[in-house]
Amino acid sequence: MSSLYERLGGEKAVDAAVELFYRNVLADGRIARFFDGVNMEDQLAKQKSFLTMAFGGPNKYTGKDMRKAHERLVAKGLNDSHVDAVIEDLSRTLRQLGVGEKEVQEVAALANSVRNDVLNH
Amino acid sequence: MTLLTYREAAIEIEPGEDVLSALLRAEIDAPHSCRSGVCQSCMHRAVEGNPPAAAQQGLSDAQKALGYFLPCVCVPETPLTIVPAREAGARSEAVVHSIDRLSDDVVRLRLEHDSDFAYRPGQLLELIADDGLGRHYSLASLPEEDSFVELHIRLHPGGRMSRFIAEELAPGRQLHIAGPLGTCIYEGVDPDQPMALIGSGTGLAPLIGVMRDALRRGHRGSIRLYHGAREREGLYLHDHLETLTKRHANLRYVPRVLSDSGPHGGDVATAALEHENALPHTAFFLCGGEKLVGRLKRVLFLKGASLKQIRSDTFLPAGSGR
Ligand code: FES
Repeated sequence: MSSLYERLGGEKAVDAAVELFYRNVLADGRIARFFDGVNMEDQLAKQKSFLTMAFGGPNKYTGKDMRKAHERLVAKGLNDSHVDAVIEDLSRTLRQLGVGEKEVQEVAALANSVRNDVLNH
Repeated sequence: MTLLTYREAAIEIEPGEDVLSALLRAEIDAPHSCRSGVCQSCMHRAVEGNPPAAAQQGLSDAQKALGYFLPCVCVPETPLTIVPAREAGARSEAVVHSIDRLSDDVVRLRLEHDSDFAYRPGQLLELIADDGLGRHYSLASLPEEDSFVELHIRLHPGGRMSRFIAEELAPGRQLHIAGPLGTCIYEGVDPDQPMALIGSGTGLAPLIGVMRDALRRGHRGSIRLYHGAREREGLYLHDHLETLTKRHANLRYVPRVLSDSGPHGGDVATAALEHENALPHTAFFLCGGEKLVGRLKRVLFLKGASLKQIRSDTFLPAGSGR
């Protein structure tokens, strides 16, 4: 059977989802403050690598990268509820794009798999 | 033959090896993260040679045209000379052609330069004073029409660079420039697409460059130029732009003065957000202070504009240059 990444449509699917996802995240009052003052282009590229990972695509993230990338946010109070919000926004984005429920769950599970690294647990 | 040159140094690269690995092996502290062409944190710029297409995937049309690429997925087949993405590159000489006051605190500086200083209107260059102090200024000129480069410079009382410009520069004076830099150019724009150019203060300079470039290339869609200033005086090209709109049916000029309550009074960002309503289809160019550009970018994006269609340049606070 083809991989999740292939089923979703590979890099094209990531490209289609990334702006909508970022917009959903920025409009989410629960987490928007973590994005204050960031460079939006850099942030979009980061969202793209995150989506690639969550779609089961090629990535070389290590737990260490994840911890380092979110250190600053954890210090600002990032916790489980915020990770929940991001995963919700991600699932909503995929539904808006017409992705099937089975795939939505698979993506959410992959995103969830880095929770402990992100939160430095 | 050297396949890879970093700044001025030849770097050893194995057949089939990617540029990032070669840089790291040479103990160059190149930023990176994903190493698979996604995160863009390793971005560099080719100042000579053309990076392979595979190394430019996911970049904007402007970035591609200007030689930006991702070293982690770049296996060069032809020689490349590269610099970090935000570095201006080698210096060259320039001579002051003219220097004029456009308003109380804005001067127009025109420089004659070597023909090998190739740039696109809307980009910026680094102006380097005798003591090595450097500042970035945007280009309002058009290489196809002007034999000089034109910069609009706001003089800050007490600023080191401002003092150098006001006291030292006169026609014939020599100085150094480096660059060009920046991706706020007419590239990846459809000829029928509406364009919105929004800027404050001397952020007008690159917008003029982009506007002239668009007109010269026969842009057919509407072009709306918004210029904001604190005082009426700050609309330093008001009459010139009013005249231009009479010559080009698709050009509109919308000035806004913060301290004014007349028809042109108010804040330029608010005016632009009020008028612009075809957000997903419009090509945006934003230039000015960090606050203005940051606010506009965020609001436009949240309202449906694509980030790929929002090109911007922010003034760097004084002191962040070389
Ligand atoms: S390291 Fe991520 S794009 Fe090169």
